[in-house]
Amino acid sequence: MKIQRHGAVLGLVAASALLLSACGSDNNAPAGGTNSTSSNAASVPVECGGKTKLNAEGSSAQKNAVDAFVQAYQAACPGVDLAYNPSGSGAGVKNFNAGQVDFGGSDSALKEGAETEAAAKRCQTNPAWNLPLVFGPVAIGYKVSGVDSLVLDAKTTAAIFSGAVKKWNDPAIKALNGSATLPDKDIAVIYRSDESGTTDNFQKYLKVAGGWTKGDGKQFKGGVGEGKEKSAGVAQAVGSIDGAITYVEWSFAQDNKLSIAKIDSGAGAVELNAESAGKAIDEAKIKGQGNDLVLDLDSIYGSKAAGAYPLLLATYEIVCSKGYDADTAKAVKAFLTVAATTGQQQLADAGYVPLPKAFQDKILTAVKAIA
Amino acid sequence: MSTNLADPTRLATPPTFQSVSVSRRIKNGIATGLVWGAFLIAIIPLVWVLYTVIQRGFPVILDGDWWQKSMSGLLARQQGGGAYHAIYGTLVQGLVCAVISVPIGIMVAIYLVEYGGRSRLAKSTTFMVDILTGVPSIVAALFVYTVWITTFGLGRSALAVSIALVLLMVPVIVRTTEEMLKIVPDELREASYALGIPKWKTIVKIVIPTALSGILTGIMLALARVMGETAPVLVLAAYAPFINYNLFDGPMASLPLMMVNERNNPTQAGFERIWGAAITLVVLITLFNLLATVISRALAPKTK
Repeated sequence: MKIQRHGAVLGLVAASALLLSACGSDNNAPAGGTNSTSSNAASVPVECGGKTKLNAEGSSAQKNAVDAFVQAYQAACPGVDLAYNPSGSGAGVKNFNAGQVDFGGSDSALKEGAETEAAAKRCQTNPAWNLPLVFGPVAIGYKVSGVDSLVLDAKTTAAIFSGAVKKWNDPAIKALNGSATLPDKDIAVIYRSDESGTTDNFQKYLKVAGGWTKGDGKQFKGGVGEGKEKSAGVAQAVGSIDGAITYVEWSFAQDNKLSIAKIDSGAGAVELNAESAGKAIDEAKIKGQGNDLVLDLDSIYGSKAAGAYPLLLATYEIVCSKGYDADTAKAVKAFLTVAATTGQQQLADAGYVPLPKAFQDKILTAVKAIA
Repeated sequence: MSTNLADPTRLATPPTFQSVSVSRRIKNGIATGLVWGAFLIAIIPLVWVLYTVIQRGFPVILDGDWWQKSMSGLLARQQGGGAYHAIYGTLVQGLVCAVISVPIGIMVAIYLVEYGGRSRLAKSTTFMVDILTGVPSIVAALFVYTVWITTFGLGRSALAVSIALVLLMVPVIVRTTEEMLKIVPDELREASYALGIPKWKTIVKIVIPTALSGILTGIMLALARVMGETAPVLVLAAYAPFINYNLFDGPMASLPLMMVNERNNPTQAGFERIWGAAITLVVLITLFNLLATVISRALAPKTK
């Protein structure tokens, strides 16, 4: 009995010692796969240092982009890390203002009033800045057998998604697609049934550019079609129904091999690609003051520039202009610098649009000014 | 009785076991069927859950990296990495919670059994413990959030999680310890008093050692329960894909949190991480339960 008792105690001690001493590792870099690091690190001067572990939270729309930024950040500054919790824009703003995270991610800029005041309080009476770092185009994905190329304008799109246009061979669609043969088939509208920033931006775009009268917000208000849960559900539904159409983030449309409609904003049909979306970002006017780069989304949505794809989802990083402690400021600056430069290179794979050069410079100026 | 004497073959008393009537056999059959049916219904989901978790998660945890690495720097679709950060978080949050709640729980139970008796304080304590047992974990989490973060302005941290878990663990320990102390025979205490041993020494040297195996089992089971709690980690700690050894600051992963977090990840890698974390949690909790059995066997009171 005595021996057994000792054995149990010994076993307990041994097990706990094993667990605590088996040191884990954060190193997941592929062995020998650091070639991209060296070439990138040379092109951007990043001042590494400060806090090694940053904490951020917010919009789930930019989660994959932030993951890519973290990879680039780790490649540029060894030993650093960042946790990004995709708990939604609302939670991101709330926790930033409560000082729980170092920066927040949000689908919309801080609202004047209560939100900006709370943010200023969190930043030791300094204003918080909205930096639009991640742009994701929204694709109008469809599946109609025999129709590989489709041109839509905002007005027709609004008519389709509000149920005014019901057939694929409707004169309104025909007028935009002179040469294509459109089938006499019902249009099946698929929309997001959950609350989503994508729906919000899509409806805002239709409101600005297409005379959408149903209202905006995170719920789809078109009143037609069938709702599906999350981006993945929407894209899969369209992929399996002949005659279906939806709005969905670009990467999901690509992954599900949906046809993507070209958008005609008055200067010819524009295909969705990194270049055309980048052009729209260039067109964007900034309505914020100084380094607070709040976008005037109406200027993107209403853009009539040739070759610009106007249907974009912009997400912000919300940071303090001043008021971080020195360590945090240094790390936040390093991360945002990497995110705005080398981090952008991997974005196209993840379904986002890399920032155009001119815009990138604006962001870098703002990041440098963080103290 | 005397009238039966005429028949020599007849027994003096009827046999104890008579042949069972048809109606009773039918009732017996129905009852047996119901009990077996209930048993099967109870066992189906258990086996099914275990099968699913093992079938989907087992290949993941066979990889050595799973036990040694974190998810740091991996894209959502990239496979590889491990759950070390989450295992560490789950164990440390559970152990810190145990370090706080075990002394409190045991001392409350000692008070209730040895000192409290039928006093008003003891009665109200028992009542409060009963209420605490019924508090859902999300309420405990929100309470700690209100006090710790909103009122005192402290940051979200693993320690806040541990404190919320304490609220869930203390009542369980109080109840099990109380039951264990109650079944220690009074003769042992009286024998000790008869030898002139003071009450506190009797409790420390006689009562607790006798009840120790049961108390430890209770602690282990309570620990296994709180380690699987999701609500406190969801509310009180942010997920970190990297290893954070610091209990007092910064985001820290834990296995339930890792599963919640990867639920939004539709890729194959996300699928593997969810089921890997699930089976890891099941394995950890099974280990704690086994440990409880081993300890209670080893420390069981010697009857010879």
